[in-house]
Amino acid sequence: MSETAVEKQSFATYKKNNTIEEGDNVVMYLSKENMSIIRVKDGEYFNCKFGSYKHSDMIGLEYGTKLGSNTGRGFLYLLYPTPELWTLVLPHRTQILYIADISFVMNYLNLKPGMSMIESGTGSGSFSHSIARTLAPHGHLYTFEYHQERVNAAKKEFEEHGLSDMVTLRCRDVCKDGFELEDKVDAIFLDLPAPWEAVASAKKAFKQNKVGKICTFSPCIEQISRTVTALNEHGFVDIQMYECLIRFNEIRVIPMWTIDEAMEKQRAIEKKRKRATPRVVPADNNNAQEGESSSSSGHINKSAKVEPSVDDSNQSSAAATPNSTTGSEMEDSVSTTVSTPVIGSETTASAAEAEPRERIEPKNVVVTRLPAEQRGHTSYLMFATFTPATQGPSLTETKAAAAAAAASSSAPAK
Amino acid sequence: MAALNPTDIINAGEHVFIKMPSDNVKCIVLKAGSSVSLGKFGTFKANDIIGHAWGNSYEIYDRDSKTRVYHPEGISEVEETANNNREIVDDPTSQKLTLDDIKALKSEGLKGELTGEEIVNKLKESHATFDKKTAYSQAKYLQKKGKKFHKVFTPIKPTAYSVNEYFYVRNPSKIRDIRMDTLSQLLSYSNVHSGCKLLVVDDTQGMIVSALAERMGGRGTILGLYDGDNPHYDIVKYMNFNQETLDTIKVLSWLRIHRPADEKTPDEMQDVTQLTGKDLEGYHRRLKAYNIVEESRKILFEGNFDALIVASQYQPESILEKLLPYVAGSRPVIVYHGTKEALLETSTWMRRCPDLLAPQLTESWLRKSQVLPGRTHPEMSTWGTGGSLLTATKVIDQPVQAALTKRERLAMEKKNAEAKKLKRAREEAESATSSAAAVGDIPDEAVEGEEEGATTTMTDGADESRSIKRAKQE
Repeated sequence: MSETAVEKQSFATYKKNNTIEEGDNVVMYLSKENMSIIRVKDGEYFNCKFGSYKHSDMIGLEYGTKLGSNTGRGFLYLLYPTPELWTLVLPHRTQILYIADISFVMNYLNLKPGMSMIESGTGSGSFSHSIARTLAPHGHLYTFEYHQERVNAAKKEFEEHGLSDMVTLRCRDVCKDGFELEDKVDAIFLDLPAPWEAVASAKKAFKQNKVGKICTFSPCIEQISRTVTALNEHGFVDIQMYECLIRFNEIRVIPMWTIDEAMEKQRAIEKKRKRATPRVVPADNNNAQEGESSSSSGHINKSAKVEPSVDDSNQSSAAATPNSTTGSEMEDSVSTTVSTPVIGSETTASAAEAEPRERIEPKNVVVTRLPAEQRGHTSYLMFATFTPATQGPSLTETKAAAAAAAASSSAPAK
Repeated sequence: MAALNPTDIINAGEHVFIKMPSDNVKCIVLKAGSSVSLGKFGTFKANDIIGHAWGNSYEIYDRDSKTRVYHPEGISEVEETANNNREIVDDPTSQKLTLDDIKALKSEGLKGELTGEEIVNKLKESHATFDKKTAYSQAKYLQKKGKKFHKVFTPIKPTAYSVNEYFYVRNPSKIRDIRMDTLSQLLSYSNVHSGCKLLVVDDTQGMIVSALAERMGGRGTILGLYDGDNPHYDIVKYMNFNQETLDTIKVLSWLRIHRPADEKTPDEMQDVTQLTGKDLEGYHRRLKAYNIVEESRKILFEGNFDALIVASQYQPESILEKLLPYVAGSRPVIVYHGTKEALLETSTWMRRCPDLLAPQLTESWLRKSQVLPGRTHPEMSTWGTGGSLLTATKVIDQPVQAALTKRERLAMEKKNAEAKKLKRAREEAESATSSAAAVGDIPDEAVEGEEEGATTTMTDGADESRSIKRAKQE
């Protein structure tokens, strides 16, 4: 490895060579529910229940590559860390924002490269990464957090993720002390317990001669209520509120028999049963050997219950025998004694077993369903607009001034 | 004061959305020196807003269509009163002004002799039961009348959001029902950023291309594949993009991806040295068109796209099959469709595709609320569909050892050991002949041999299919 050629990784963009190098952050994808992030260091191992993976094996591979474990028991995918993946793997220090809210807020605030923005509080840095990516390379994020330990952790992450050039992180209680930024930003996002306390300072932070947008993120309607009053008081206009949720669909393939097909199946079973009864073979034994094919009327219900998810559907359809017509074929199969391995002795039962399975291929239907439980509410997203006309004194200040002026000038009115 | 960008001010010749008191939005191209009619809300002069910053509202206040910046008074708090609607009966005579009176007021308003607020006040004063209404009802009444008689308009800057909202409300089928929230999620999943390279099939009239281009800020490349004579990216023109941003959008017709056998370069068709006048002009036109196509082909065949985004009327799988090879590893692949059902088969196809990881079908839900101090509640009507997204990640499939059973693994190890032994024997034989062989090299070579052995055993087709199955189960 020539050390000089290593390209520094940033979560805000991709690497040109798209190759894993020493010092890179890489997302270990085991499954949707099981992902983690590592920093590649020669000589180290990533261990999980699906095996052990040498970091040195990863170096030089293209991102997205499937990697088998050293023990040969499992494999994983090596993914490039994007802000979206970071949201899924980051260590939670607080409640975090997820993709539905992150996306909608960024779109509404019209974030794009080159803009400046305030975020408060930083929390676990989930949203910060998405913002930084979108403002890069020349924009800037000012992010505020009043919890010192969270500040330290976020600072380290921004450095390790190649974002520190475009992120200014400050430990500060903005509700008490304000942002100390004036005429500086295009957009503001407030995720605070009491956003209304930060509105006055937010107003000053906006670039004063252009339009700007603010979003406050609050779980409770009471918080919204107080924030509306504050925004209104400070001259913000176009106050709007949204809720946004994503529904994740589960996809399944379910078999759909027509009633005729089902009856045909039933008839075949009955026919078989009728043939089987005069023989002196114990029914239990027969069932055990044959498995599903002779397990009477339960058959349809059973296979219908399987509801193979898409993954398995290949298998199951491949395993299924071609659709056979009933009845007449039976004689053929008896004479040739085909296919199905007969484990039992050569009793008369074998004749019945040798009969080709009465598989009727149902029509498969692809369906979706929503998981029984899903996110129902995150927070209310309230937006307002700062306009060049917003600058100046707040409503109460104007009223007070007007009252004072009226009082002083009441006597010598025109 | 912070310095203003050209995009921060309203420029002549640009598209502008005008929001009217009724909350309706009108789209105009702002021509310098022109008058813009807003119907019953009056007329304003384009020059009054050209050169000013976006964001302010304007009030038409004079008979000469004069405008001034409107300072909204803010929303007033509602004070609880003891009023209720027990005494209120449906009685058209409670408004003492006749229809003709109101018409007269309106025309005075149009002439600029009365402001909107004055008209609303007159209506309120001549309303017999206004005082009996609850505070909420009073506020609602004033708001409703205000929407009719105020003469305040707000120029709205076209952005991906505002353009999307405008068309979604007005003509959703034009943009294939893609709603602002769904589009925002598409932008996130695509990880679009300044400087990236995207492959797009966009049948939303360019809504998606516009939003992507905005997020790239003039750096990077979007290659849009289109069918028909032209890429119908109508939406792009509403975005007021500068040339730098427009230049990031490249297009290529599906028919021109591969050079047809009979296609000739302009130089093959004509000898440029022999051309004059009109013919020469024609040659240069053809050359330009030819070079554009050649450039787009080059961009496509160089591959390494940072995302593939498909929002097509055609079967998505057929498109993915063709375009997936051009996408780099660990990059998002996104399919948008107005209906979820159209993506179901694609989704099962994706699960079977070894180059795609974790397909996920999502729909978005968005609800807007009225927020007024003390009067906050969800709006009476909400949006239905906003389209569906199917997202996955392009991966590089490799047969891995994980797929082997214990017996197979042992067999493989045995084979490797034999290969190693064989190689060592061969090397020893070689080193015996050439005495100059360095001793230190041997272990390295042996390791290499082992790796080679491993790869040969693992490329077995059955193993591969099993490994895919394993992957899917996870």
